[in-house]
Amino acid sequence: MVDLEKMRTIAKETVSRDDVRYLIGWRQGTYGFRVSPHFMKGPEEAEKLIFSPLCSNNLATYLTLTEKLPVPRGEQPDSRKIAVMVKGCDSRAVVQQLIEKGIERERVFVIGCPCEGVLDLKKVEEKFPGILSPVEVEWSGDKIIFTLPDGVKEVPKGEVLAKKCLSCRYPNPVMSDITLWDEVKSLGDGNYEDVKEMEEKNPQEKWSFWKDKFSSCIRCYSCRNVCPMCYCEDCVLDRLNPQWINRSANISENSAFQLARAFHLAGRCIECGECERVCPVDIPLMALNRKLAKEVREQYEFEPGLDPESKPFQSSYRPNDKEDFIL
Amino acid sequence: MDSMKLSKDKLNSFVAILAEQKQLYMPQAEGETLKYSPVNAKVQPDLVFSNTAVPAKSVVFPQVETLFRYEVEKTDIKMPAGEEERVLLGVRPCDARAMSIVDNLFSWDVDDPYYLGKREKTIVVGLACQKPGVNCFCSSVGGGPASTEGLDVLLTDLGESFLVKPLTEKGEKLCQAAGEIFEEASSDDLNSAEKLHQEAAALISRSIETGGIPEKLPGLWESGIWKEVSNACLGCGICTFLCPTCHCFDIQDEIEGFEGRRCRMWDSCMFGEYTLHTSGHNPRPTRRERTRNRINHKYNYFVQKFDVIACVGCGRCISSCPVNIDIIEILQQVKEAQ
Repeated sequence: MVDLEKMRTIAKETVSRDDVRYLIGWRQGTYGFRVSPHFMKGPEEAEKLIFSPLCSNNLATYLTLTEKLPVPRGEQPDSRKIAVMVKGCDSRAVVQQLIEKGIERERVFVIGCPCEGVLDLKKVEEKFPGILSPVEVEWSGDKIIFTLPDGVKEVPKGEVLAKKCLSCRYPNPVMSDITLWDEVKSLGDGNYEDVKEMEEKNPQEKWSFWKDKFSSCIRCYSCRNVCPMCYCEDCVLDRLNPQWINRSANISENSAFQLARAFHLAGRCIECGECERVCPVDIPLMALNRKLAKEVREQYEFEPGLDPESKPFQSSYRPNDKEDFIL
Repeated sequence: MDSMKLSKDKLNSFVAILAEQKQLYMPQAEGETLKYSPVNAKVQPDLVFSNTAVPAKSVVFPQVETLFRYEVEKTDIKMPAGEEERVLLGVRPCDARAMSIVDNLFSWDVDDPYYLGKREKTIVVGLACQKPGVNCFCSSVGGGPASTEGLDVLLTDLGESFLVKPLTEKGEKLCQAAGEIFEEASSDDLNSAEKLHQEAAALISRSIETGGIPEKLPGLWESGIWKEVSNACLGCGICTFLCPTCHCFDIQDEIEGFEGRRCRMWDSCMFGEYTLHTSGHNPRPTRRERTRNRINHKYNYFVQKFDVIACVGCGRCISSCPVNIDIIEILQQVKEAQ
């Protein structure tokens, strides 16, 4: 059960520690069903913290998105920890960042929030359009309870939950320094039915599907920027010399961009679905990511973001590898 | 020229007439996304939408535009063909107003032939808003659901018909050319259109009193609010690319074999690369400076230069922001900041 009081108390304690720089959680957004990341510098800001089915944002992104300005001469860089609240999927992002040495373990303090699934805002805003005043939303068994301006509404979970949550096997943080409440049951069995559907299409059908989707890409890079695993300081997409991918938004360059993005996430994507959530033109990016995740799981028996002591799958070789040409 | 009436069962014929005379652009779904695209005379017009995801600016300021073509190691350049006359149908008043605001910039110190060439050949037929979106705040920044600025013709949906109001010479010519399918509008029609406009204005629920903001912004340069409001920013281009007044572009040469073209494409001040110098120095090193610039450009610099706020209150940046950065909220903080 979500315990907001406990969450706020722990947050106050954490942010008051000398070795913690700030804490990242969630707060009610400015309107309707929106939630915003909450950057807490002091205990007085804890009252704004929330945890609800609206907390989609994967806050692990901010661990690698922190901009490091040059440190003035004579000063030491701030080496205090960043405290971050994570759902199950988000925690896998932290673990994968640790595996890749993108972050250091002693620089993060992870607060785990077992999660019963977050909502797909598109579905919610379609169901309850035009709502301006902030709405409270809660989990209640297999229902979601909305406290709307005109009364309380119950909606079956399946109707409003994000697709990624319906197949989620890791609703509980796989790693944390402290977990806020009891573990919850997973909703999915990790099948890849959605991927199989795509695999059954012939190449022409696949291309006509993706051509349509990639054509609408406006190259805002929100999918890249929101991704907790996209943290290269020098991204291949920004390179000018050599320029691997032109800046022009057209079907050729957009496809190259999207395929490069997906391939760079093979065996790294922890399926938090943020790329698909933020896309302003609704490209179903998780279909690509899930296909690659399935391949990696089946061919390499590897799942990213589970064991911080493990190696990235590309740099691990096992003698029982299915492909014998390697040796 | 007086207002006229177009019965809805003649909308198809009206669209066909427009499409035969000029290149017609209407909101079309590309994938899941509604944007203005060229259509032919057979298109089934659908004008029922709150607004397009991608603003109408893309017709006069395309995301990618060829400036000229050349052959590598040769000195000749080939200019693109001249612009054809085009009609935009169904433009929301905010997007039209945005065009008239951006006109200031592209005709400022040096006339931009690419933008102005398209703009001069474009006739904008607008449709008054009747169901403003949840984040619309056009009436706070000098617009309104039936604002006519930047439009050549304004349509108002009366239920069974449209009230057609030509606003400029271009608009009148266009209506005259389609003359026979219109009926005379009665004073009742005019009154009901006026009533609908007022009802729509009353449905706008978000607002901000913008008075004093342009004067206050310069004094807030080092204020803590910029760090506060940009903490959650991902640095993506959604807010600027989908903004109908954002007009920044990058220029690149694209070469395939010996065929080269110089083109310009939308760029975003929210990208780090936008201000990155060749030396490696970046005068806007973090999202704090970039967010500060976005707000200052719209509510300070543009006002100083052209005496108009470069924001039309369409709400796209608010609705599409993945982390709920809300320009109305930022402006509110600007007003409250000490």
